[in-house]
Amino acid sequence: MEVKLWQAVQAILNGILTGALYSLIGMGMALIFGVMRIVNFAHGAFMMLGMYATWMLFERLHVNPYFGFLAAAAMLFVLGYATYQGLLRRIADRSDFMQILLTLGISLILTNGVQLIFGADYHQINFGLLDINVRLNSHVSLNLPWLLAFGITLVLGVGMFLVVMKSRLGRALRAIAQNRYAASLMGIDVMRIQALSFGMGLAAVGVAGGLLLPVFYLYPGAGDQFTLKAFVIVVLGGMGSIGGAAIAGVVLGIIENLTSLYWGNEWALVVDFIVFLLVLSLRPSGLFGSQRV
Amino acid sequence: MTRKRALIAAACFVLCLLVPLVVDQDYQLNVLFRITLFAGLGLAWNLVGGYAGQLSLGHAAFFGIGAYGLVLFNEKLGLPIWLAFVLGVVAAVGAALLIGRVAFRLRGPYFALSTIAFAEVLRISAKNLTSITGGDVGVQAPALFDTHPSQWFYVSAVLLTALAFTVTALIVRSRFGYWLQAIREDEDTAMACGIDAASTKLRVLAISAALTAIGGGLYASQFFFIVPDQVVGLEISNEIAIIAMLGGAGTLTGPLVGAVLLETATELFKSWFQEAHLLIYGVLIVLVVLFLPEGIVGTVARVWRRRKAGS
Amino acid sequence: MARVIRPSWLSRGVLFALLVGVACKADSKQAANTFRIGVVTSLTGSQAAFGQAHKNGYTVAIGELNAKGGVLGKQIELVYYDDQSKPDQAVQGVAKLVDQDHVPIILGAFSSENSRAMIPAVTAKKVPLIMPTATADNVMETGSPWVFRICAGSGGYASATIDFLKNNGAPKTMAIVYENTNFGQANAKSMKELAPAAGIEIIDDEAYQSNSPDYKALLQRVKAKEPEVVYFASYLLDATTLMRQSEQVGLNPKFVTSAGTGFAVAEFPTDKGAGKYAEYTLSVAQWVPSAKWAGSSEFDAAFTKLTGAHPAYHAMEAYAALLVAAEAINLGKSDQSAAIADALRKVKLDTPFGPVQFDAKGQNPHPLLVTQVQDAKYKVVWPADVAETKPVPTPAWADRK
Repeated sequence: MEVKLWQAVQAILNGILTGALYSLIGMGMALIFGVMRIVNFAHGAFMMLGMYATWMLFERLHVNPYFGFLAAAAMLFVLGYATYQGLLRRIADRSDFMQILLTLGISLILTNGVQLIFGADYHQINFGLLDINVRLNSHVSLNLPWLLAFGITLVLGVGMFLVVMKSRLGRALRAIAQNRYAASLMGIDVMRIQALSFGMGLAAVGVAGGLLLPVFYLYPGAGDQFTLKAFVIVVLGGMGSIGGAAIAGVVLGIIENLTSLYWGNEWALVVDFIVFLLVLSLRPSGLFGSQRV
Repeated sequence: MTRKRALIAAACFVLCLLVPLVVDQDYQLNVLFRITLFAGLGLAWNLVGGYAGQLSLGHAAFFGIGAYGLVLFNEKLGLPIWLAFVLGVVAAVGAALLIGRVAFRLRGPYFALSTIAFAEVLRISAKNLTSITGGDVGVQAPALFDTHPSQWFYVSAVLLTALAFTVTALIVRSRFGYWLQAIREDEDTAMACGIDAASTKLRVLAISAALTAIGGGLYASQFFFIVPDQVVGLEISNEIAIIAMLGGAGTLTGPLVGAVLLETATELFKSWFQEAHLLIYGVLIVLVVLFLPEGIVGTVARVWRRRKAGS
Repeated sequence: MARVIRPSWLSRGVLFALLVGVACKADSKQAANTFRIGVVTSLTGSQAAFGQAHKNGYTVAIGELNAKGGVLGKQIELVYYDDQSKPDQAVQGVAKLVDQDHVPIILGAFSSENSRAMIPAVTAKKVPLIMPTATADNVMETGSPWVFRICAGSGGYASATIDFLKNNGAPKTMAIVYENTNFGQANAKSMKELAPAAGIEIIDDEAYQSNSPDYKALLQRVKAKEPEVVYFASYLLDATTLMRQSEQVGLNPKFVTSAGTGFAVAEFPTDKGAGKYAEYTLSVAQWVPSAKWAGSSEFDAAFTKLTGAHPAYHAMEAYAALLVAAEAINLGKSDQSAAIADALRKVKLDTPFGPVQFDAKGQNPHPLLVTQVQDAKYKVVWPADVAETKPVPTPAWADRK
């Protein structure tokens, strides 16, 4: 019986660690969706780009991914800004449908472009750090790379939260999220801020990619599964709520792990979606959100 | 629609029915089957997505229920093929009513995401419940037609498309159609005018689901063999939506044009670009979204109207 | 309002004519000076990496065959159809290759579900199909006389593993861990069917969603049941994750066995795979570069020269399939499908993949090797008569250096 308890504890702890990465991905999506109401179906594809960037830095310049992710984030920020200015802003006033389609198209281009350039083959990185496990007691141990990712995510998450809540940029973001028209009347350069927030959202997802790389592996479709999860997280946390997304990501990680432990890994995704549907039908504003659905 | 246009439409469909007299190779008939089928699916989707303005990205759920319904009712319950087919369609309608009840309370992108969630739950469940569905190993679908199957499947697809077309045309001109479009334009105002939005949306989803499920049953039987990713996959939902949107959502002929262009383009791209064809497909989507937002038919209509008015 | 616009009627008609024309175009006949063989494989989509392995294997084969004069005096030309990793596209490929390109024989596809989907089509069109890598058992259960399989099936994987276990400690309990796709489910099914007869009880059945970053909860469940053997059916990426996380969770069965694939590819014991976590794992291999069949190392060298990496057995299976096809064409001295199919039944060819001869059902009884990773290399440990070395017991993670 005691062992069973520790098993649950281990699963929950692992869920928190995985959930941290989910949080980061979710926060990026929350920023993009909350501020711009863009349903970004290319979220996972951009994350994959971040992973490739981190990988290349490791392979060519031997930059440790725990530093390399910063470069990936910077690159994605620029890419996000450019994508917004170049493509997304043109359809900013059109229907959701168009945005979804556009991001779908972008996702296809990115995924297949990467496949053409780098090939469909998988890549992996390996260095000593990855093997280290931190043992808490005889029943619970945590893998160091995941702990590192958690720590970095925590710092960045808090940073992001502070930016959104305290800075002028953050105020502008929240103003646009509340009422875009009114915000523009207040003198906010809506287009530029939206481009910046798209860049920031993608930078967040780039960090997640860079942190995921050491414990996962790399192939053109590596990001795909995270796009839908990002939506689940954003809905769970409450649309537009960055803090909510952060917590929801961890919650999702825990739910997935407990499902794996008690029911079966193959049902984890199904449970994700059922949670999603439950939240949408019972409490559409999510755990922390206040936006009307 | 005027009588003249109705006659033209009928003539076009009859012409399509006669194609197998000229084309007899399986490959070509399969391509035509796929194009026509997706035209019909696009029309079915158009009712919900184009006219009612509810962006569904989970239509593969109905497609898959139609496909698996045919297979499972026939295989596991031993029912005769055509009865199994009909039951599959009925099941899809049932699912539509269930899904709609939950999903239609949501607006805009939330609705779209919830439809995706439903479809994915179905897909993964189909994969995991191997004892019922055969899982990913697949199940053999019964043959609806024993002789000249390629031709009969093509003919069935044309009939399905004609049915969807007729249904759409009838709806569009009816009060029901006006309700749909009112809901699309502004649901709150529509409700303020006394339109029962919830029930209207449910009904149109049921109709759409039925048509889509017929397509699913045909598809399953045509390819003899189905696996969950193939018939309940996200790609099918996306493809149907893209076809309708490319051609022109909310127009009668949009999905037809969209299906023809997109499916033809896909086949051509495969032989021209080989491994790069999906990339080109993505570029195509981006270009259409940026420059042809009303879809092809929509844009043509706009240009036509402007020319007529401007001269 | 209904926007039924005149132009779109016309345009629809035009488009339709265009498309019929397009579909009818390129109705090519066998060119006078090349012999065309059709290939369906996954050049794009989720299985693209394997499709590419196929293509590379075929490329090595075609180079060798054409250098020796091709078949029936003509150079071989491969006509590829990309099934995009989708079964319905594979079926479409059959139609195109046979109806438009008029190939008399088709090789492919990569995956079991794609190959299975093709069978009714090739049967209806009466064209022989050689399957290089489809291992699911349902692929050979249709009874079609036009289907030939070069590789051993998942039933073979299970029985080879069981044979090894019976003679090396005879464990009694097993957990099966597999991905919830065709490949995983087919192998799990085979093992579940064959293990009980050998006295092995399946005490845990764990399906997983492939390409997940975290399987620790699943592995915890397996650990709690304390199986003596774990049988994995995974591709390389998941194999790596599963072995790494087995160590983190402390899962220590007496035997870690697997249905080949991820646990049997060249990268698995290296840095690009599970590295040191692969040590002691047992696997079933259709072929390894160090296999004793003549031509194995030459193929390894040629492949490495072409692609820069060593071949996994999928590439070898493609290579062998083309060799066998050429042999049948030469034997039957014909470019007609029926004659080629008949000739295939008579083929008896020694290839670097081993001896190939199809039985009455079209299956080549390919002998499987059981390998163990020792010192980061695959060593054949079973059957005893071809074993390179003896198997080594699997120490617990904590006891390894």
